[in-house]
Amino acid sequence: MPFDIALVRVDNRLVHGQILEAWIPYIEASCIIIADDNLAGDFFRETVIRMALPRDIDLFIHSIEDFAKTYRYQRDKGEKAIVLFCNIHDALRSYNLGFHFDSLNIGNVHSENCAVCCSPSVFLSDEDIQHLSSMTKDLGVRIDIRRVPKERSGDIREILKIRSS
Amino acid sequence: MEARGGIGMIGVLITTHGNLGNELIRAAEAIKGPLKNVLHVPVDQTKSVEQINKEMSSAIKKLDQGQGVLIMTDLFGGTPSNISLSFLKEGKIEVVTGVNLPMMLKLSDIKEDMNLKEYASFISEYGKKNIYSASEILNKKLSG
Repeated sequence: MPFDIALVRVDNRLVHGQILEAWIPYIEASCIIIADDNLAGDFFRETVIRMALPRDIDLFIHSIEDFAKTYRYQRDKGEKAIVLFCNIHDALRSYNLGFHFDSLNIGNVHSENCAVCCSPSVFLSDEDIQHLSSMTKDLGVRIDIRRVPKERSGDIREILKIRSS
Repeated sequence: MEARGGIGMIGVLITTHGNLGNELIRAAEAIKGPLKNVLHVPVDQTKSVEQINKEMSSAIKKLDQGQGVLIMTDLFGGTPSNISLSFLKEGKIEVVTGVNLPMMLKLSDIKEDMNLKEYASFISEYGKKNIYSASEILNKKLSG
């Protein structure tokens, strides 16, 4: 199924107020795709998410592996979709399995062993920073730290610079 | 406040985006007097899901006197509501979303023989019934 993948986001709250009230209307998305190993097969949580979404929004939930097999990252063709990961590690795993996004939005990340706090909702561990750094430097992925569309995007290069110096 | 003195009353946990819940409690108390066995867990962006989970779980423990706990949240699909739903347990924990001030004022009007499920539906029905569009009422009055 060809989708226009308009947003690839890391959000440990997955579908919540910011997605429902800000991102879906902003993007005019008609589909939410969640790639998460814990959520795939959790019927109760899936039902709750389905109930929260407007009726005309499709929802697909996959394990990371299934997701990477099923979807290709592409823009400007088909219905607009939002892809959600629970953490940065899962986003990188999907990339390495073939889902080659060129931009990654960081919404809410609360890693244990927080090494850097780069916004009120983003607490990165050393592992997260390594992943982000390899995504920007080696894979050319643009990192966009933003909770909601109207917020100014935080500059990940500054954060990585501070970290490495 | 007759039901509140009884042994084993239903506890109420309000959990909302930011301090909304606390303000609802304050407003309700200003109108009706102190609320007993009601706690608030605020949810903001600096808290992780695990941390919110912990705070809710310890609030539920404090509130539960054997009759169960009603969790009231502000927005279905929002984080406070999503996390609350993971606590849902028949007869023990009920979740009602869309909390408003009329509902807060009704919390203490529990009837003695009400179980948790009846209490939850009583509160949510009352909340729905107390939303009016003023011009509709006026038109009804004028035409009736």
